[in-house]
Amino acid sequence: MDEAITLSKVVEVSPTTRHEGHSKLVLKVNDDGIIERGDWLSITPVRGVEKLAIGKTMEQVPKIASRVCGICPIAHTLAATEAMEASIGCEITEDAYLLRLILQCANRLHSIALHDILVLPDMYLPGTDMKINPFTPEEPVRSVAKRIQTLRMIGQTIGEIAGGEAVHPSNPRVGGMYKNITPRAKAKVLDLAKTALPLAREQMELMIAIFNNYKKRDWAEVGGKEIPIPQDLGYHNQGYMAADPVYGSTSLDENPRWFPERWTEVRPWDWYMGEEEITLEDPSYPIGGTTKAGIKAWPQMEACTGVPLYDGQPVEVGPRARLVTYKNFDQKGAMGQNIAREMEYMDSVYKIIEAADALDCSGPVLPDVIPQGDGSIGWAANEAPRGCDVHLAKVRNGKVEWFSMLVPTTWNFPTCSRALEGAPWQLAEVIVRAYDPCVSCATHMIVVDENKRLVAEKLLE
Amino acid sequence: MDELYPEIVIAGCGNMLFGDDGYGPEVVDRLKELALPDNVKAVDVGLGGPHFCFTMLDNGVTKKLIIIDIVDFGAEPGTLTKLRVEDLPPGSYRDAHSWDLTEPLNRLKDFVDIMVIGCQPKNVPASDFEIGISKEVEDAIPRTIQVVLKEIGVNYGNS
Repeated sequence: MDEAITLSKVVEVSPTTRHEGHSKLVLKVNDDGIIERGDWLSITPVRGVEKLAIGKTMEQVPKIASRVCGICPIAHTLAATEAMEASIGCEITEDAYLLRLILQCANRLHSIALHDILVLPDMYLPGTDMKINPFTPEEPVRSVAKRIQTLRMIGQTIGEIAGGEAVHPSNPRVGGMYKNITPRAKAKVLDLAKTALPLAREQMELMIAIFNNYKKRDWAEVGGKEIPIPQDLGYHNQGYMAADPVYGSTSLDENPRWFPERWTEVRPWDWYMGEEEITLEDPSYPIGGTTKAGIKAWPQMEACTGVPLYDGQPVEVGPRARLVTYKNFDQKGAMGQNIAREMEYMDSVYKIIEAADALDCSGPVLPDVIPQGDGSIGWAANEAPRGCDVHLAKVRNGKVEWFSMLVPTTWNFPTCSRALEGAPWQLAEVIVRAYDPCVSCATHMIVVDENKRLVAEKLLE
Repeated sequence: MDELYPEIVIAGCGNMLFGDDGYGPEVVDRLKELALPDNVKAVDVGLGGPHFCFTMLDNGVTKKLIIIDIVDFGAEPGTLTKLRVEDLPPGSYRDAHSWDLTEPLNRLKDFVDIMVIGCQPKNVPASDFEIGISKEVEDAIPRTIQVVLKEIGVNYGNS
């Protein structure tokens, strides 16, 4: 074994925070605390959606898919619905597409604004050494927080109008949409989007200034220590994968922009580190310190997702992947990625306006005939806020024979792991958060007392 | 501008892919079949309550939030309980979210009246998906709806 590796220390951050889902970081670091190898992995055990889908109707599976994650129901609904349509060979009408496009962009608008809240606490007010608390009642942050909330509210309201519900969209269905919207609802979408336009621009400009300021800083405070910020924080040399600048691509397209034959998958066992003992601990690291020394970590056993590769390599998906692929964006690193996400604000709003303008409220949103499928494989790659969300399906006689989901953050795990190398371990989470990770949810439950003692007194009849 | 979330919000939390965890969304589905007053909105928030709903209620409009969820409080399956946010110790929301439920609720509770209506589940599979609500929890749904209606001041004359 390489001597340098045996001399490395191992530090673990578990769980990582301020993103969706449970994941952890196992980091081999040198004497200066610089990451030599980083493994970022999902520790959320979610299994069985592929198995559960078999035998279900093609209408039911998108509903199931939308429930695997608390924060991406819109992306999963659209990707799964379109995977079914791709399998059965069903083209949707123009107005159904426009409604989906509005839903897609409204979701992205909300998502960017939400990420602003999640990422701001790592950032500094430009020109000061003061970190930003997005929940402070003090100005100038309070006005920014209010603007973020307005953008989120507009995103969700437009999503509710086009999608039928604010959280789990009920309007999309295999073949198109259940209902078109009324001219009055369309006018409201336009009003809301036009209200969002200046707010989104101001918010984008402020956030980009904040990220550029971070790039220029020499250090960031983590757990009471000043940690030097390297110029190449979060750089990696992996490629990018994006199926569209805004919406997506499916196997029905004349020129599909995702290629199943380029996709392979590696087991976590063959990718992640073997068993390691934690040899470095830092009780001052937020929140609650790192894992105690002496505890074992075993990434290859603990990782809950496979490792998808494109052309045999990990790839980055998400806002920067879209901007690099379609708009010649060239900023690298964690801040480059954050900036790319901000740059999607404007397109999200403009596309809503364009789509609503083009929408014919009396146009059909379902085709005359919806084929029931002959078992052909179809796929849909939806450009979700967090990146390319690929669903694949085989439908025969209206029933799903096979279904698979390749969700965005699963693509980003191995890519981000490489982006950790060379960074001080204390800034690893800053890199992780730039990916706006969404680690599929499992279940949740309120536990009143760890010992299951009956704390709740008022029982209802 | 119309508000996305009105004066009273009923949020059904949970995931129908995990057995009884589908309770909250199912209650909301049934509530939607009823004629609710204009100042009430029932929302199936799934697993996204903290992200899509609870952090959006500082809108100056919402005065009351009723959360419908499964709660493990050591009772018989199907037993209902009412909880206040104060009853939820930090980290009490045992879920897969790092941004847990109690944090946004604690921030919210000073200006929104928050109540949790919880049902003791029978079957919540650990990591494998399984669709279907147990009979005990299913039987608790109509009772839950009665409690919710009373809470929001709706009386159809049958309770």
